[in-house]
Amino acid sequence: MEIYDFEGKTTQEAIENAARTLKVPAEDLNIDIIEPGSAGIFGLVGGRKAKIKVTLKSEPVLEETDELLVARQTLEKILSLIQVDVTVRSERIDGKINLIIDGNHSGLLIGRKGKTLDALQYLVTKIVNKALEKKIHLVIDAENYRKRRTDSITQLALKMAEKAKRTRAPVATNPLNPHDRRLVHLALKEDEDLETRSRGEGLLKKVVIFPKNK
Amino acid sequence: MKELITYIAKALVDKPEEVNVTEIEGEQTSVIELKVAKEDLGKVIGKQGRTARAMRTILSAASTKIRKRSVLEIIE
Repeated sequence: MEIYDFEGKTTQEAIENAARTLKVPAEDLNIDIIEPGSAGIFGLVGGRKAKIKVTLKSEPVLEETDELLVARQTLEKILSLIQVDVTVRSERIDGKINLIIDGNHSGLLIGRKGKTLDALQYLVTKIVNKALEKKIHLVIDAENYRKRRTDSITQLALKMAEKAKRTRAPVATNPLNPHDRRLVHLALKEDEDLETRSRGEGLLKKVVIFPKNK
Repeated sequence: MKELITYIAKALVDKPEEVNVTEIEGEQTSVIELKVAKEDLGKVIGKQGRTARAMRTILSAASTKIRKRSVLEIIE
């Protein structure tokens, strides 16, 4: 890695010089302050320039491909050990990594209510987080299951909301995982006649839909 | 099945060299015994057993494919 030296009246100025010369934002620099610099008496006598050494942080573009690659290879490895004949596509959308499974056995890999897909997603996320020592947001999908699930949960939420309003009594969903619960809350967020609250302990909780008293 | 659990367990723990998996094959049901270093036990079990449960889910999907049943036992 290349090391550059910069100077300025103050450390701040030296950093600005470095950023301007190397044409990168200051956040992308690793900075070592060699001399903090001092203004001297009245800024006239005995002033010393601030000196810094900087190196460029590794380019974010490279990191990104790394994450995608590690995530995809981890999933591919697990799938090959399950002995299913599928392929994996990877893409990055809004900082989130999507891994999409295509092939004959995708039904088996989804499982009841997406249980197997969720298990794969959970484990691959853990493994990649550990390998890269950072937290990534990863979604594993097959046969557009995530979208279908989102739609059906949203439909369910709307149906239950209707019932809560009609009967003027609270309605509870089945126990749902955090992601599905969030979908219910989101689906009814805009409805001012209702309130949604999660109830229960642990990973699976019910969402209770309350009609508001008027 | 043994390779599957070995791969996942080794990727989750701090001491992969201490991961030991044995498979006891029955006619219909196989028992897979997973041993890890004492400090790594929490890593393969997870919060409220979530990691262990995820491994069991994947194991049962893999077993369904070959029309068998497998049980994962984590040995302390």
